[in-house]
Amino acid sequence: MTGIAMRRRTVVGRVLALVLSVLLNVLPGVLPGLAGDGLVLAATPRDVLVIGIAGDVDNLDPHVTMTNRSWAVTYPAYQRLVRYKVQDGIGSTEVEPDLATGWTVSDDGLVWTFTLRTTARFADGTPVNAHAVVYSFNRLLAIGEGPADAFPTLAEVEAVDDYTVRFTLSEPFAPFLLTLANNGAAIINPRLEEHAAGDLGRGYLAEHTMGSGPFQVELWEKDQQIRLVPNPYYDGPAPVFRMVVFLVIKDPSARRLQLERGDIDIAEALPLDQLELLRTRPGVRVEDYPSLRVTYLYLNNQRSPLSDPRVRQAISYAVDYDAIIAGVMLGNAVQMRGPVPQGMWSHDPDLFQYRRDLDKARALLREAGLSGGLRLGYLYSPVYPEWEQIGLALQAQLAEVGIQLELQPYAYATMRAMLGDGEFDIAVGNWTPDFADPFMFMNYWFDSANGGLPGNRSFYSNPEVDRLIRHAAVVTDIDERTRLYREAQHIVVDEAAYVYLYQQNYQVAMRDNVVGYVFNPMLVDIFNVDTMSKR
Amino acid sequence: MGLGQVIARRLTLMVLVLVGVTLLTFLIAHAIPGDPARLLAGQRASDEVVAQIRRNYGLDQPLPVQYVRYMSGLLQGDLGRSIRTGRPVAEDLARFFPATLELVATAMFLAVVIGVPLGVASAARNNSWVDHLSRGVSVAGVSMPLFWFGLVALAILYGKLGWLPGSGRLSPFGLAPPAVTGLYLIDAALARNWDTWRDALVHLIMPAGCLAFVHVGVVARQVRGSLLEVLHQDYIRTARAYGVPPRRVLYRYALRNALVPTLTVVGLALGDLLAGAVVTETVFAWPGMGSYVVDSISSLDFPAIMGFTVVVAVGYSVINLLVDLVTLRLDPRIRAMG
Repeated sequence: MTGIAMRRRTVVGRVLALVLSVLLNVLPGVLPGLAGDGLVLAATPRDVLVIGIAGDVDNLDPHVTMTNRSWAVTYPAYQRLVRYKVQDGIGSTEVEPDLATGWTVSDDGLVWTFTLRTTARFADGTPVNAHAVVYSFNRLLAIGEGPADAFPTLAEVEAVDDYTVRFTLSEPFAPFLLTLANNGAAIINPRLEEHAAGDLGRGYLAEHTMGSGPFQVELWEKDQQIRLVPNPYYDGPAPVFRMVVFLVIKDPSARRLQLERGDIDIAEALPLDQLELLRTRPGVRVEDYPSLRVTYLYLNNQRSPLSDPRVRQAISYAVDYDAIIAGVMLGNAVQMRGPVPQGMWSHDPDLFQYRRDLDKARALLREAGLSGGLRLGYLYSPVYPEWEQIGLALQAQLAEVGIQLELQPYAYATMRAMLGDGEFDIAVGNWTPDFADPFMFMNYWFDSANGGLPGNRSFYSNPEVDRLIRHAAVVTDIDERTRLYREAQHIVVDEAAYVYLYQQNYQVAMRDNVVGYVFNPMLVDIFNVDTMSKR
Repeated sequence: MGLGQVIARRLTLMVLVLVGVTLLTFLIAHAIPGDPARLLAGQRASDEVVAQIRRNYGLDQPLPVQYVRYMSGLLQGDLGRSIRTGRPVAEDLARFFPATLELVATAMFLAVVIGVPLGVASAARNNSWVDHLSRGVSVAGVSMPLFWFGLVALAILYGKLGWLPGSGRLSPFGLAPPAVTGLYLIDAALARNWDTWRDALVHLIMPAGCLAFVHVGVVARQVRGSLLEVLHQDYIRTARAYGVPPRRVLYRYALRNALVPTLTVVGLALGDLLAGAVVTETVFAWPGMGSYVVDSISSLDFPAIMGFTVVVAVGYSVINLLVDLVTLRLDPRIRAMG
């Protein structure tokens, strides 16, 4: 070897050695020191709750936003006239007074009069009174976006005196009282006007809260975190937590890791396989609750051959419900019995339920003149991984009765446009009620006037069903409503308007020192942070 | 051609590129079937509600009208209002851009600082163990999917060892330094807030390191290739024959020329880094433009998609202009050709 080559080697070797030694020796030694013990490894403080969420909140304005993720922040920041009851530590779908102390309703169901509590205060000390209620509902209707949809017949809201408010409906709407517990029925501080700038305060309220709930938003670092701190004027029991942090961690594995290490107290929206893994880990608890969230198949009733009820029944008989629940949901679901899920009144435990019966399915197809087999499309979007798995299972199951199913994956926005335009044979969907009334299932899914995205995704049409459910929406007697809804359920199950697949369990993973969580099927992913604590 | 003329010509071209990019993006974004108003209205809004939202955002106007409106706003520096967040897009981007810049710049810095010496070592000791190691690292970096590499790093360095934090730019209870540049390392240093500076640094190491790892290979291979080519040229042989010290030959004569194509590659790699940042930002919950634009695309938030495209296109053009100018400085022959 020449001297030059040797020297070259020494120089290069030195550079390389330096780089390698930095990479291999210095960094690992220095980093823990840099990080400090308290920074990386510490569990969260006892009076702070950290919730890992899967994406940032879009908008904090309760009169605009329609996402559960935003509601998780706004629900504890505002109060409503009524709230969901808690019975023996379990969330109920029935409501009780919150800002209201009581109410009366006229015999025709059109005029509702509420008296208000006099002690409630917004987070700046302004009293919550009838004028604030009037202001809030007028704003909700003036904006007229998603949340206003729950009040289709609300005509006028007026203050009778400082603490009495009157709602007038243009037509009776049986679920009215229940819709007042919605996130969109939040009562907002009228001092929002000081920030209004000609946009009804939309710009300001998209990023701030102005409510009377136990908490208020202190800080929102976009795509990083939202911090809630107590409302000093809250007139209920003071919350234990001095701070609630919603930490944005988009990747589910990263969210799980942070929960395991105790950097967060609750991990939202973990996939089933991650939850199964977590069940075996120390320090973490996975809780299961029956939810009102259902997964079902839309069968395009306007398109041949699905316009023939016999074909729809054949498909309902060909589906292997147990296999889908075991294989796709890992057992965390139960088969639906008709459109109204268990836990919602007017659910009928004796209603007919389709079970797999290939002979019946084939016979029905023969009757419909389709013994030669047929091809259908299955529209879905990869946003929910289980939708594709359901499609694959259906493909195999329907093939056994001679139906070839073509999987049609589209981006979510595109899928929704196609659903709205009825450009599909079979499609899959999830549904969660916004208020605790079978109206959310029966009237949305089956009223022929709601065809497409508004709710009747199967474009089902039956004048008798229309009559029953429209009547059930206006009578106030709950027994009569139950009777009407059950009668309609018999028809829509018999005619197989949809394939009623399964009702999901809701799972949430939290550190085992977090106590006091109350699950409410109406408030999925919304935590009762004001009454929770840590051991 | 003088330097001023070069810049003037490039700037003119840049304007044309921007018009083309905005027009294309606008058309593609609107050609996707789907209706942002429907997404915004929620699961089951009535048609009236959807129509109201469409009017609020001007989505009821014909496409050419929407485009002209957008462009006239753009010329006045107005990027429109995001459909998803309800905030001005410029404000959103101003908030997220510094995070991405900090991540990408650090990754680029690491890629060059590690990649160039590695490439030099590799070329200088062609076919030695150093060369094999460097090539192995390069292939691994280029072929490993970034999200997988990121998750493995996260599982080990955060999950198992607990050396580095798992997400974000700062600890959940840390406060951002007073915003000057939006780059936490610089802002914290300016404010002499060394606790925050350390916090920002430890949060930056893993995402930037993973992002850099992919590009270390690209840079090292480029340096190695160019350097090997240069080292076989006549003037190098002449220099060696004259007895010029080998170090001087390698660093002064060979490397300088080998860096010209490397610079171009680095400039182009910035585009890749931005794309890679989208993945990295998701895995490490880094609040940058990448995750912002992914969310925007899935909700068909046209103004946000357009705003992101404009910013990236301008950034890309400016960086390439700078690369060209540096190349001109390094290589007189290009200057002569104009």
